[in-house]
Amino acid sequence: MATCTGCSLLCEDIEATVKDGGLSHVKNLCRKGHGHFQAVFTERTVPSVDGQKVDLEKAILAAAEILKNAKNPLLYGWSNSTLEAQAAGIRLAEKIGATIDDTSSFCQGLLMERIIAGTIPTCTLDDVRNFADTSIFWGSDPSNSHPRHLSRFSYYPRGDKRQRSYEEERTCIAVDVRKSATAQLCSNYYFLVQPGGDAEFMEAIISVLDGKIPKVADKKKMIELGTLLKKTEYGVIFPGLGMVYSMQDRMDLFERLMARLNEITTFRAIPMVGHYNMRGFNELLKEKTGFINRVSFKGGAAAHGSESSVLSAAKSCDAALVIGSDPLSSLPFGTARLLSKKPMIAIDPRRSLTTDAAKVVIPSALSGMEAGGTAVRMDGVKIRFEPIIESKMPTDEEILTRIMEAI
Amino acid sequence: MPEEVEVTIVTVRDIFQDEAAKKSRFSQEYEKLSALIVLDKQDMARLAVKDGQKLLVKNDAGSVIVAVKTSADEAHPGLAFMNNSPWSNQLVADSVGESSIPGFKSIKAKLARTEETANVTPITELFSRMKG
Repeated sequence: MATCTGCSLLCEDIEATVKDGGLSHVKNLCRKGHGHFQAVFTERTVPSVDGQKVDLEKAILAAAEILKNAKNPLLYGWSNSTLEAQAAGIRLAEKIGATIDDTSSFCQGLLMERIIAGTIPTCTLDDVRNFADTSIFWGSDPSNSHPRHLSRFSYYPRGDKRQRSYEEERTCIAVDVRKSATAQLCSNYYFLVQPGGDAEFMEAIISVLDGKIPKVADKKKMIELGTLLKKTEYGVIFPGLGMVYSMQDRMDLFERLMARLNEITTFRAIPMVGHYNMRGFNELLKEKTGFINRVSFKGGAAAHGSESSVLSAAKSCDAALVIGSDPLSSLPFGTARLLSKKPMIAIDPRRSLTTDAAKVVIPSALSGMEAGGTAVRMDGVKIRFEPIIESKMPTDEEILTRIMEAI
Repeated sequence: MPEEVEVTIVTVRDIFQDEAAKKSRFSQEYEKLSALIVLDKQDMARLAVKDGQKLLVKNDAGSVIVAVKTSADEAHPGLAFMNNSPWSNQLVADSVGESSIPGFKSIKAKLARTEETANVTPITELFSRMKG
């Protein structure tokens, strides 16, 4: 069986048939995973310096030269790299006194920090499949973002204690600013919130759990929700970016809601992480430095702060190494514009706006397909995978090691 | 007919656009699913536009021309949706608050009709703006 690295569910039941050294048939992929596997065949990068094709060694030496001369380098990306590559990246950051940050910095970081620190209780997706009777998709839409979430874990499967599953035993609830594909599935348990209204909705839930009248328009529906939550045996909240972006500095309120729910019954939270190994990077960096992201090794010791976030560092750095990420597509235009003008090294198997703008491009093997390694699923479970097909492309880890040796 | 309509744009995920992105960010398919804004039918009526017509979406951060589509959701005038992409990111302000998270899901913008012959902003143009 192969593992799909198309999202942080890391589906391990992919049946891949290899013929004449290449992929011929793949089964069990979702639509997103299908696109991910197509990446083997499309938009592959070649080693280049200043837009000119060069051999790999020359590209690696050019990358080392840029980093050696930089006074304030940024190493960014990491969420689509294996733990082995991430560890090499942290070592590189320490060696050259760089700032290191990953996509969690403007994604699920605010929540993941609390999950890893243990201030918000969590569980595994296997626990969800076996025990959960209530799943709350809050600002998340797995039907689009994590297509096999519902079928493998949170709604349809017949788990150990949930043999009657979605027909009788499981309820799904959606809290969202729109009736997403997942919210449509939740039918009567779809709760519409206004953009930025998630904190108010949380306060209303806490009110009904405390037996008070909630300050919302539809009091009856909110009281029904409170009753459902109280009757839940094992509930899990799956917060998406909709909730995280809405809460931002008020995440303590979510902690309070989780604490209140756990006074009554069992409730856990699993952030809907997008990239396949974002959590891996967060756990690894935390283990090494005490912080999950936004770390600077300038001056030797690890320092943490918003000035080390990619949003700030993209502006202040004098060179950047970007690995397995496309910040020129995903950052606000103004920040992307500033970053695009810096000497950039892009390590990526595939072409992107970032590789098009980079001074040095180093192609790498696609993790899960052409390269093996280890990653951490959204729920913290470590998954080891082997390559399906042989590739002459070096892995991210090999490239980083060679750059480090050349500095 | 108003010349401009103000909306708050919320960016969302779409499995078809995600699949297209994973295949190629430079494809027509990705452009079609990204350079797109979904509006409430009241806003469509205010702008007097139909599905497929092009709109100029602009704010202090930037501007893009995208195609318009009528929302199938319950009424949400003033609220628009775009799939997260380099097109929506043209409109995301650079300034951030204490948490250092940009307003990807709360983009205030003005919408205006364009010439009937207008095309959506191509990704090559977005790239040129960046490097220019």
